[in-house]
Amino acid sequence: MMRVKLDDALLLQVEKPAKYIGNEWNMVKKNPESVAVRFAFAFPDDYEIGMSHMGMKILYHILNKREDTYCERVFAPWVDMERLMRGKGLPLYTLETYTPISEFDIIGFTLQYEMSYTNILNMLDLGGVPVLAKDREKSHPFVCAGGPCAVNPEPLADFIDFFVIGEGEEVIQEIIDGYKAWKASGQDRTAFLERVAAIEGVYVPSLYEVLYYEDGTIMDIMPKSGNVPDTVRRRIVADLDKASFPDDIIVPYVETVHDRIMLELFRGCIRGCRFCQAGFIYRPVRERSPEKLNELARSSVRKTGYDEISLVSLSSSDYSALPEFCEKLLEFSEKERVNLSLPSLRVDNFSLGLMERASKVRKSGLTFAPEAGTQRLRDVINKGITDEDLKASVQLAVAGGWNSVKLYFMIGLPTETMEDVEGIADLGFSLIESCRGIADRHGGRGLNITLSTSNFVPKPFTPFQWEPMDHISVLTEKQYHLKDLIRKRTRRIRYQYHDPKISHMEAVLSRGDRRLGKVIHTAWKLGARFDGWDEHFSFERWRRAFEENGLDPAFYANRKRDFSEVMPWDHIDIGVSKGFLVRECKKAYEGDLTRNCANGCSNCGASVYKTGICLAKEKNNSQEVDKWPGH
Amino acid sequence: MARALRFRFFRDERLKYLAHLDVLRLFERALKRSGLPVAYTQGFNPRQKIVFGLPMAVGLTSSAEYADIEFAGDLAPEAFISRLNQVLPDGIKVLDAMPLLKKGSIMSQITSAKYEIEFAVPRHMDYDEINGIVIDFLGNEDITVMKKGKKGSKPVNIRPLIYSLSVRKPDNDGYILDAFLSAGAKNNLRPDLLMKALNLITGLDLAVGSIHRKAMYTSAFNEWKDPFEVANDD
Repeated sequence: MMRVKLDDALLLQVEKPAKYIGNEWNMVKKNPESVAVRFAFAFPDDYEIGMSHMGMKILYHILNKREDTYCERVFAPWVDMERLMRGKGLPLYTLETYTPISEFDIIGFTLQYEMSYTNILNMLDLGGVPVLAKDREKSHPFVCAGGPCAVNPEPLADFIDFFVIGEGEEVIQEIIDGYKAWKASGQDRTAFLERVAAIEGVYVPSLYEVLYYEDGTIMDIMPKSGNVPDTVRRRIVADLDKASFPDDIIVPYVETVHDRIMLELFRGCIRGCRFCQAGFIYRPVRERSPEKLNELARSSVRKTGYDEISLVSLSSSDYSALPEFCEKLLEFSEKERVNLSLPSLRVDNFSLGLMERASKVRKSGLTFAPEAGTQRLRDVINKGITDEDLKASVQLAVAGGWNSVKLYFMIGLPTETMEDVEGIADLGFSLIESCRGIADRHGGRGLNITLSTSNFVPKPFTPFQWEPMDHISVLTEKQYHLKDLIRKRTRRIRYQYHDPKISHMEAVLSRGDRRLGKVIHTAWKLGARFDGWDEHFSFERWRRAFEENGLDPAFYANRKRDFSEVMPWDHIDIGVSKGFLVRECKKAYEGDLTRNCANGCSNCGASVYKTGICLAKEKNNSQEVDKWPGH
Repeated sequence: MARALRFRFFRDERLKYLAHLDVLRLFERALKRSGLPVAYTQGFNPRQKIVFGLPMAVGLTSSAEYADIEFAGDLAPEAFISRLNQVLPDGIKVLDAMPLLKKGSIMSQITSAKYEIEFAVPRHMDYDEINGIVIDFLGNEDITVMKKGKKGSKPVNIRPLIYSLSVRKPDNDGYILDAFLSAGAKNNLRPDLLMKALNLITGLDLAVGSIHRKAMYTSAFNEWKDPFEVANDD
């Protein structure tokens, strides 16, 4: 076994060397010689991002509970570190034992963001693992990948031996068992891949063939042999209370993006906002019980020493036992001087009171996500929030002493007109206007607003998966127009926006097919890495990569698809039916709302999992589709 | 038993790449894990009442770091040491602690520190030659270098901040410079800046290796004293 030697000549030359030394509190220590399976959990971004990721904490914990397995961590070294490592010929290593990743049995990447794909290639290469799956031999690790972006695995098909679709808690156990059995059998690599392909939720791209029409669209995706399933069904955990959730999470030395305990209230979301991939690919909603959460909160604080807990979910206000749960949690947190952070809460009297008690630190920012500037467009995306709701919430917040709010919007949504874009600024103006006087009466300063727009990127498994994305020039025009409107009118509003070029590439990769493998490979060879970071992203590099491979990014990003077109991800079954997505897309164009899961079932298909809210609602399931309350 | 303690801790190779703020966070969380009755400040954002002697630069190891800590109740030094060490990561541990009977911040008391600075010479030089160079260096009345401060860099004569320097040659290839330097909130001289100045003035290209802090002192009545000695002086 080789261990990479770290010294001053390396670590005193880089920023934040503590990212590269491991040995954090709660890091798992095992003798690598005494386990059957060595698993390298790889996060294709910087340590400070990766160590904030809940999925990694869960799987690290689950794998290391097995005596026969040692799960270690590896992150993408920042560019300064990579340069030195390459210069010195040091291979990419895990933080637990400083072992080169090429010595592992399995390397598992999590796919949180399309713009980290080139980091995967770079990490494999830096670790001495062949970048292309077809070049790997018996001595090499298997490279797998999971996470939200894996619902469309195709762009990474050339690099990844197998994908895990959906939640990993249970399927990872089956994979490890399968690996041990395969190793004992002495068979070749293909035999292992065929073995795991039989596990529900595992997708082995090399066992499938894709046929294309002349225009580049897909004719068919089919298994190469009869033993391989036609479609791969997403795995989920039926009961969160029974699923293992870590309370002994690693406590980093350097400050990470989410440097706190994360308590996952529930998975999935009842809302069904039509742009939101997370709203569809985690269905159905399954809650963790308040008892379990309170227990986790207490033991986590004791075992980590963190003084902050964040409640994690897609929409915390929808947690069914929120008031009782928070009451209990506050009793504990106030006594132990632990701050609670409560993201994704709807702002109302209850939540403001909660926030007041939860966090002893300054009342700084509150965030709202109206997502679109006009009621018409909010109806298109099924975002059940009105100007009046928003106004009332912000007034309440200002009266309560909060003086800065941040509003998140998207530009480039389907059917959007310049009027909708202007609606974003108008909403900001009217909020400022409506809060004039309130702050004075309560002795606060006036309201400051940050308007933030992201660029809408159509994602697989959403009702907008067929939609064209706005061209870069159109997005830029919308941004400038907004910027101009706001600057002319008030200084109380700050406007933030994202680089449309990065969003454009994200759109290409998220709905890409297998042919993009060559483009990703070329872009990486041209130097692409950390593409999600403005300072490292180069549009020119990607443009060249497309050109060299004779492909057109607009085919992926800006093309309207027909409902009948075979999508690159059609052989993946996430539980939500394509028919439901088509219905939702049509309703979007009608501006028709769809009720949320708590108000009644809309037959999305997720009930095939026979758990969570689908079970709870089965009894009073009515077929008629009613509208949002308040409409 | 005491409501406040002064303690000494070490940091070895394993955690020397932590920045000062990382060390502060590390103690904050370890104290929380320990369940010790640490006292908190009043106000909006309560903080643990703990003060450190000197910041630790990235790369520095030390066998003599000091901190003062207050508790909400009485605590025996032995109990403090054993309970905190159980929850401190390998690489930073408390060595000893003593009751602190009166207020006075360790941060304002520290005025000097001793370092061992490993270095390598660029060409073959025997001990006498390198020792002579260091003695000559000390003979300068003015050693002005650019020193980084809160308001950017400015020229500072660091000679008055150097109390003594002496060269040792251990068995291995390199040398060790024992440096006794002014330290603390007012006139801090970092050992890396000293080495920069040494290279600058002598025209040598000494390669600095690891730097170890082996002591820090307070000054009282024109005498250097161990922070434990002065803890309860009047």
